[in-house]
Amino acid sequence: MEIFSIIMLLFLIFSAIAVSAMKDLLGSIIVFMVYSLIMAILWQQLEAPDLAVTEAAVGAGITTVLLIVTLKSVRGLKK
Amino acid sequence: MKDNILNEVVKYLIPFIQIFGIYVIFHGHLSPGGGFAGGTIIGVSFILYRIVFGKEYTRKKLNFNKLLRFMTMGVFLYGVLKGYIFISGGNDLHLPLPPLGTPGDILSGGFLLPLNIIVGIIVAVTMYFFYCLFDEGEI
Repeated sequence: MEIFSIIMLLFLIFSAIAVSAMKDLLGSIIVFMVYSLIMAILWQQLEAPDLAVTEAAVGAGITTVLLIVTLKSVRGLKK
Repeated sequence: MKDNILNEVVKYLIPFIQIFGIYVIFHGHLSPGGGFAGGTIIGVSFILYRIVFGKEYTRKKLNFNKLLRFMTMGVFLYGVLKGYIFISGGNDLHLPLPPLGTPGDILSGGFLLPLNIIVGIIVAVTMYFFYCLFDEGEI
């Protein structure tokens, strides 16, 4: 599973750069959710499945919902 | 939000999300997961319910006073149980302890299962309150 981990690490670095380089705020939040999901897969590859479950629930679920709600309430969403 | 397809799909989806959360909590001392992860999954199901069915309908089902009573009872019980473990742990006091059971069963591990259930209740209610406060500023 070495090659799979290396590919996931490359995706992780690419999405981490893309979050800070994007202009659109909503797209940036969605790419941040992708970052969190790839991080959960990597925790599982590092044999820490407990952290993987927590990362998938909190990082990809709750954090994304809270960030999108905050973006809606400060009127950062373009209609 | 009034959408027939969304309402019907969510009506059948939410029980499965909650069953998965309860599974993660109840197997917290045997497999990956635990109180925090399972409580977050159950809280996500409450948030989905509120998004789809609206504010007024959810307020009748998930009453604020009832949820707050659950959460404060959970905090109180957690303090009592954890303090009892700290006192009776290594002091040779011979206080009564729950039976340990056979390893691998759900009813094993002493105080771990009730503590996981209490943590799950507290985390689920807290995540739901977080969403309500972020969204509308009131619960």
